[in-house]
Amino acid sequence: MKVEPAGVELLRVARASLLESLLPLLPAESHYTARMVANAMAIAARELEQPSAASVPDAARLAREIREGRHDAGEIAALLREITRARLAVSNPRLLGPVDKR
Amino acid sequence: MSTAAAAVAMNGPGVDRRERVVRFIAQAAGASHVEVSRWERLSGGAIQENIALDVRVEGGALAGEHRWVVRTDASSAVSVSHTRPEEFALLVAAHAAGVKVPRPLWLCDDGAGPAFFVMARVPGIAAGHRLVKDDALVPDRPLLARELGENLARVHGIAPPRPALDFLGEVPDDPACERVAAYRANLDALGAAGVNPVLEWGLRWCELHAPAPWPAALLHRDYRTGNYLVHEGRLAAVLDWEFAGWGDPREDIGWMFARCWRFGRGERVAGGVGMARDFLEGYARVSGRTIDAAATRYWQVMAHIRWAVIALQQAQRHRSGAESSLELALTAHIVPELEWEILELTQPA
Repeated sequence: MKVEPAGVELLRVARASLLESLLPLLPAESHYTARMVANAMAIAARELEQPSAASVPDAARLAREIREGRHDAGEIAALLREITRARLAVSNPRLLGPVDKR
Repeated sequence: MSTAAAAVAMNGPGVDRRERVVRFIAQAAGASHVEVSRWERLSGGAIQENIALDVRVEGGALAGEHRWVVRTDASSAVSVSHTRPEEFALLVAAHAAGVKVPRPLWLCDDGAGPAFFVMARVPGIAAGHRLVKDDALVPDRPLLARELGENLARVHGIAPPRPALDFLGEVPDDPACERVAAYRANLDALGAAGVNPVLEWGLRWCELHAPAPWPAALLHRDYRTGNYLVHEGRLAAVLDWEFAGWGDPREDIGWMFARCWRFGRGERVAGGVGMARDFLEGYARVSGRTIDAAATRYWQVMAHIRWAVIALQQAQRHRSGAESSLELALTAHIVPELEWEILELTQPA
C-alpha cells in the first residue's frame, strides 16, 4: 500500500511552494536556477504519471534498421511521431498544443 | 626566461596573470607605461574566460585610452574546440575579410602561462531573449536581418586553402555526407544514450536528400542569435569563433534559421530577430548566391540533428558523473522538441 500523498502530488505541492513562496524571496541572480529546479520537478512528475513514455520497445533495433535504409519507404514516420509525441508529453507538453495540454 | 615568465615561476600561475598581460601589452604597443583602470572578469567557463580591460597607454603608436577584452584559456583547458591562438588566427582572417568582429590586436603564446589575446571591446547586446522581444533594441528588423546575411556572406568569402588556418584540417569533398558520418559516430560513441530512432531517421533522410554541394568555405558553425552583438540596432560584432571550420556555406544558414534558435519567435525565421527574405537578400547582395527552399530545409534538418547530438552529449556528461549539473541534466529534455521539428521538416511535400 502506498503512503499518501503519492510522489506526483508531493512534487506538485513542493513545486508550488518553490515558485510561490521561495522564488519571490530569492535574489534575481538565483531565479534562473530556481526555475530550472521547478522545471525538473514538473518533468519528474509527468514522468511518474506516464512512465511508459520514457522507454521505446526495441529502440536499438529500430534505430539500426533505419540507419541501414530498411525503412526508407517512410511508413515508419507515423510510429516515430508517436514515439516523439510520448516523449514530448513528458519533456515539453506545451508543444503538443491545447488538445494534449490537459 | 622573460621577466613575466620569471614572475609566474616565482608566484605560480594566476597570481601574476594581470601583471603578465600588462607587461605583454606594454611591449606589444611599444608603450613606456600602461595604466590599468579596470580589470574585470566578464564571463567564462571551463574552456576560456573574458576579462574587460580599460587602460591608458603612454607612449608608442597607441598612446591614449582604450577599452579592450583579454580572452584567455582557463588554467586547465581541455577541449575539442579551438585554442586561443587558433581563435586569434580566425579573428584576423575574418577581420581582414570585412566581417564584423572585435578588432584583434595581439596574441601572446609565449609558453609562460595560458595563451591569451587582446581584442577591442565592442559595445552591444547579445542576449537572444532580449533581441527578439524588445523592438527598441532592434527598431529596424529588416536592416539587422540584411546585415546578418551580408556579414555571413563575408565569412563565406574566406575559401580554402589558407595556410594561416591550416589547423582547420582537411576540406571535405562532400560536406553533407561528412556531417552525417560525424553525427552517426557521435551517437555511437554515446552507447545506449545515443540510441534514438528519430535522429537516425533524420540522418538517413539527410543521407538520401543531400543537395549538390557548394564549394567549401569558412563556416562560423555557431552563427546564431546570442552569439552576435547588436548596438544601436545595428550588427556590431560576431563572437565565439571556437567551432569554425570548412564546410558547405548553407550549413551556417540552416543553423541561423533553425527553429531552436528563434527564441520563441517562430515566425521570424532569421534567428527570431528578422525575416528569412531580408537575411537572404543581404546574403545574395554580397555573395551573389541564392539558396533555394529545399536546401534551406535540408540544412535546417541538419541543424536540429546537430543540436540534438550536442544536447545528448551534454546530458551524458551529467549522467556519467563527469560533471553533475541540473542544467546539463535538463538539456536531455530539449531533444524531443528537436525530434518533433525533424519529423515536421522531413515530411514528404
